[in-house]
Amino acid sequence: MFNQGGLSMEQAPPVMVVLRFFVTASVFGVLLGLYLMGSVGNILPLNEYAFQLTVIHLLSLGVMASFMLGALFQMLPVIAGVVINTPTIKATVVNILLIIGLFLQIFAFATSSSSLYLIASFFLGLGLLYAMSVMLKEVILIKDHSSSSRGMMFALSSFFLAIVLGIYLLLTLGGYIDGSYFKELKEVHYSFALFGWLTLLIVSISFQVVEMFYVTPKYPMLMSRYLVVTIFTLLVIKMMMIFMSLESSSANVVISSLFILYAGVTIHRLYKRKRPTSDATVWFWRLGMGFLIVSMLITLLSNIITINSQILGVAQVSFIGFALSIVFAMVYKIVPFLVWFHLSNQGYMEAPMMFDVIHPKRAKTHFWIHVGMFTSWLLSILFELDGVWLIAPSFLVMLSFGWLLYHLIMAIRKYNYTQQHTEKIEW
Amino acid sequence: MIITNYMRDEHRGCDEVFVSAEKAVIDGNFEEAEKLFLEFADEILRHFKKEEESLFPTFEEISGSTEGPTRIMKFEHEQVRGLIGKMAEVVEGKDSDAYLSLAESMMILLQQHNMKEEQMLYAMCDRVIPQDVKEATLATMKEITL
Repeated sequence: MFNQGGLSMEQAPPVMVVLRFFVTASVFGVLLGLYLMGSVGNILPLNEYAFQLTVIHLLSLGVMASFMLGALFQMLPVIAGVVINTPTIKATVVNILLIIGLFLQIFAFATSSSSLYLIASFFLGLGLLYAMSVMLKEVILIKDHSSSSRGMMFALSSFFLAIVLGIYLLLTLGGYIDGSYFKELKEVHYSFALFGWLTLLIVSISFQVVEMFYVTPKYPMLMSRYLVVTIFTLLVIKMMMIFMSLESSSANVVISSLFILYAGVTIHRLYKRKRPTSDATVWFWRLGMGFLIVSMLITLLSNIITINSQILGVAQVSFIGFALSIVFAMVYKIVPFLVWFHLSNQGYMEAPMMFDVIHPKRAKTHFWIHVGMFTSWLLSILFELDGVWLIAPSFLVMLSFGWLLYHLIMAIRKYNYTQQHTEKIEW
Repeated sequence: MIITNYMRDEHRGCDEVFVSAEKAVIDGNFEEAEKLFLEFADEILRHFKKEEESLFPTFEEISGSTEGPTRIMKFEHEQVRGLIGKMAEVVEGKDSDAYLSLAESMMILLQQHNMKEEQMLYAMCDRVIPQDVKEATLATMKEITL
């Protein structure tokens, strides 16, 4: 199958399809910062379990899933040669259902209301399963898979499974299901969500975009062809071990080792890149891969020796650092390029150049805010700081996402301004 | 794979010159940057010419379609040509910020274009064009000048 769409205007989705998800993700990021600030002063009357669930889902669904879905609407045509028909309608439906579902889920965690759990599972399930059915169906139909498109298929399958299990868990918390295997299913749910969906998607996309953006040598064929399917298979084996009450640490050790290997190869590829520029996105990639190594190294060791809770906390924060760093690296390339590209192809001769949409200096400032944010969180975990000591790290979460949100809004305003106030040449 | 190998090597050659020009701009050496950019422009335009005048017509004749992948590739060639014009202006005007901004667009545009050609179109050409025709096409392409 030849990629009939690619970045040509004929089938590329409208720019707002992508930007609406990125804006949503940034808003949820700001809300996360506010929520963390609120929790510092015990303003929010929540128990620890509800607090943790809220933070995890604001991050994984509100921030990460929104960024990933936006990127997928754009990248499926480009990387996998898949055409999603009527993308604007589909993206709007998914986006709205995700927003409503996530708010309902957060209120359900806070109140433990049975009916809220039911409605939240309905909205989240409907929105996310609809998105997965639209995307997965097209990806499965690809005849000649590239490494990236094959990897995306496994990542999307992982998300599909994680969503189905998430619905089951919500219905259990709401008291609608008796909750057999709750603990086991919860572990499978987050294993597939974090390592299957999130990480495998990043890995799959990186096989093409790292080379495309930075002109690096190709990934080793063995890695680009077999890494994703190997990790997916290991996750399935791990799931079976969990249900058979067998020790699954051996699967965790291999999965962690493979991710460390991947991160090492990516850093080496970036070191060998031909392009001389060393902008913020390169640094976000390096930092992200560094975080992945730290997180997976601790995970690996925790399956062999006993590790204290602070170090395990470092692994969790580092994993978040990995995912967010890569997302920011992608956003700062994708958004300026799409704004320039769409306007240029529509015939606007005064289309802003990429640096005019978001200047690399602004992205570099975000990089330092991001570094400050994670440094403060890691220090607070290592030194077991709480109370007022968490005000600064929480504020930095708000600042980081607020910074990105501001630049996304400015990019949209520039896009609209160019369309409304500058001359267009008809092709 | 003679088509894929030959054309892929040309892509890599263009990349090399392009990044050298980018490096010269970053170093502030605009005289060198202009020379390298013009070299890149010559290389890439000659490569497009080889495709549009030799490889694509051969493929279209054998596949029986002018509306398929080659049409999209030709459309993307036009996008790249447009950018080359703008980059030539800014390198002459020694505007490094504008050059690097346009270079960013050019790189993404060109790399995704090259990937589609290398992973799909050239592989299709190698598969469907008979060996003797491929060799003749390759010989013709090697003779093409700007």
